[in-house]
Order: sequence, then C-alpha cells, then structure tokens
Amino acid sequence: MVIKKKGKIIMAIVIGLSCFILSMVMFMQFKVVNQTDITSIENMREAELRAELSNWKQQYDEVDKRYQEVTATAQEYQNKEESDNETSQLLQSELSQINMLLGKTDVTGPGIEIVLKETESTDTSINASDLLVIVNSLKQAGAEAISINEERIINSTDIVDINNSFIKVNGQRILAPYVIKAIGDSAYLESSLLGSGGYADELKGYGYDVSIEQDSKIEIGKYEDELTNKYMQ
Amino acid sequence: MNKKVISLVLGGMCLVLVYGICVQIKTINNTNSSYSTSSTVNELRDEVLRYKERYDNRAEELEKAEAELEKVRESTTGNNEELTQLEEQIKQGNKMLGLTEVTGEGVIVTLNDNTTTATSSVLDISTLVVHDTDVLSVINELKNAGAEAISINDQRLVTTTAISCDGNVISINGQKVGAPFEIKAIGLPEQLSALERPGGYLSVLKEYGIEAELEKSNNITIPKYNGAINFKYAQNK
Repeated sequence: MVIKKKGKIIMAIVIGLSCFILSMVMFMQFKVVNQTDITSIENMREAELRAELSNWKQQYDEVDKRYQEVTATAQEYQNKEESDNETSQLLQSELSQINMLLGKTDVTGPGIEIVLKETESTDTSINASDLLVIVNSLKQAGAEAISINEERIINSTDIVDINNSFIKVNGQRILAPYVIKAIGDSAYLESSLLGSGGYADELKGYGYDVSIEQDSKIEIGKYEDELTNKYMQ
Repeated sequence: MNKKVISLVLGGMCLVLVYGICVQIKTINNTNSSYSTSSTVNELRDEVLRYKERYDNRAEELEKAEAELEKVRESTTGNNEELTQLEEQIKQGNKMLGLTEVTGEGVIVTLNDNTTTATSSVLDISTLVVHDTDVLSVINELKNAGAEAISINDQRLVTTTAISCDGNVISINGQKVGAPFEIKAIGLPEQLSALERPGGYLSVLKEYGIEAELEKSNNITIPKYNGAINFKYAQNK
C-alpha cells in the first residue's frame, strides 16, 4: 500500500515536470514568433521574394538609366564648355526635362481615361478619398502624369471634400462627372483598377457608373499655378 | 478503472501539447525561413540581396555623378548671368522634385498600431492596425495644410510615389516599411498642426484606437529620394 502511494507521487511529479517543460517550450516558441520582423527579407515566402526581386530589378534599372543620363550630360557640358550658346541649349534641355517631371508642361502619351459618375441608384456621392485611392492605384501602376477634370496631379496636390458638397483638387473646385486621365502603360494602368481588389470594381459594386478606356494618345495639361516653396532649405 | 481514466486524461493532455508544439514549429518554418531548407527560396533570397546591393551601389554612384554634374554645370556657366539663372532654376527644380535633402520647420506625425487593447476584445482586429489608406489620408491632409516636403520612415514622397498595402506591411517607393510610421513634413508648423484639431483626421484615427501623435519641430531633415524619376511614356507636347 505504502509502495503504491510512493509510486503515485513520483508519477505525479514526473508528469507535472514534463507538463511544465512542454509549456515552457511553447512559450519560447510564441516569443520567437512575436519577435520576427515582418519587413525583413528573412521572413518572406517564395511569392513575396519574387515580387521583391522584380521590384529591385526595376529600381536598379531606373537608377542605372538615370546614372547613364547624368554622366552623359556632365560629359556634354565639358565638351561644350567653350561655347556659351551651346551651354545655354544644354541647360534649357535639362530644365525642360525637370519641368516635365514636375508637371509644369503639357504632356501626351499612351494611357487611360476613366469617367466616374454617380447614378440614380446611389444615395451616397463620390468623395475625395475615392479619388485619392484611384490616383494612388494609378501611381502604383506607374502612371507618369495624371489629371482629374483637367487639374494636373503633382507632388503637392491635395484632394479634399468641402462641406460634403463638392471636391477640391489643387484648391480648385471640381464637379461630377469626374474624368481622370493617366499616361503610362495603358494595359497595366487599366488592370490596376479592374479585377480582384481593383478600386473601379469596388465603386461599381456601390452602384457608381465607371468606364475605363485605353487610348494611345492621352493629352494632359500642365499645372497652372506657380510652384513655390518657403520653408524647405 | 480509476487508473485507466487518469492515463486517458494524461495521454490526451500530452497529445494536445505535442500538437501545439508541432503547430508552432510549422508556423515558425513558414515565417522565419532561416529554418527553411528549400533551396529555391534560398536562391531567390540571395538573388534579391544581390540586386539590392547592385541597386545600393548604383544609387551611390548616381549621387556622386549628380554632384559632379552640378559642379560641371556651375563651372561652365561661369560668370554669364543668363546661364547662371538657368542653372539656378535647374537646382530649384531638382529640389522641388525631391532629389535633394531638405531641412526646415514642420511637424512629425507618428502612427502606431493599437498595442494596448486586447485583440480578443474587438470584433475586427483590422481596426487596430494602421492601414495604407490611413497613411494616404494623413499625407493628403498634410499637403492640404501646405506641406512642402514629406517623408514616411525616411522614404521621401515624390510625384510618382504610391503607398500600397503589402500584406501586413506598407510599401513606399518599392521599400517595405512597418509600423510605427514616422511621417515628417516641412511647412508652417501652425498650419500643419491643424491635423490635430478636434474632428481632424488624427482624432478620427484615435477614436479607432490607433496611436496618433503630432509633434512640432523647428529642425526637420527630410532625406532625398533615393531612386530616379524617369518618364517612359509621357512626352512634352
């Protein structure tokens, strides 16, 4: 009887101990999972890695292209150092390139035109954040120039609701229907809005009227105001 | 009889614990691939790192080349007033494009996932984390308040920058960034801090439980864009 009891106690201790150790191991594991950095490359799966790879390839290509341009331009300046006239031409061409990137020139190229309007079946209206998401999707798909109702979207452009009655882009009032033009790879631009998770499909789901058309010659006007900066040095 | 029951219970408990451990190990294998043995994944990772390094090196060279170009430009314009004026415009343009580091007064907005509320106490845990659309809206508000230069976790926002959701992190300029998000903006601090007003966007985020702070500063440094802006499709008319 006594022996039997002793055995039971030992068994209970052994079991208790192993349970304790097992729980410890589990907590350690939880901690490891918590500590893993979600932005780190170590933790990516195959599909994510592939996306990451094409992203870096693209970034490398862009930087490389710009590098070639810059070195070539520097070389040209050196070659034409003697002539003020030619130097002036070089400066002008560099400046016009910069102005194009800033959105200070009228541009043309292939792209898409989106027309967005409210219908009688919708009781809500299209608001600034809808346009903001579309512009962001277009940029993600590599749009080089974008305008909404002829208001050019530049880096400092804001899109805000005013009293729930109209939208202001660049401080200018715009009204429906909203015509959004974008220049870039037209198929890619279109696919960024359609398909699963595409914002145009989501808007159609709300009952808005959305039409997208590809065009080989989209024309986008320049940003009309002066670009100024007072605070950054 | 009693013994049988006890051993059944114990056996069941052990099974559950072992199962738990197995699930954990599997999760770790999925998230942290340093345990992974798959060779394609390792190769892919090597290649990503290789390309990232190539990019970093090229970006550095580009920076040097741009400095060089500026010097050459300066020396060729010499004392010619007309040329110097053009050169100034180029410099100013590059600054506006975000290709130079800038400093000035402004604000720093910090957004972080809600870490205090237990995830079990809300129906939808996605309301507790910062989304790409939240960041997009804060940026838009800052632009509305006259921000002249903006960066998110040191990624400069330029005209082609998109902010996209990439699983549980956000991708900006092709770089992945995670919470907390530090958004720096240069502009008039009194105007930029309008984001903090009651009913403003930051208070809306706070209502959802997102940690949103705004801090004014006299000395903010915003790095330059470390990529290149090229147009392939658009042409001057």
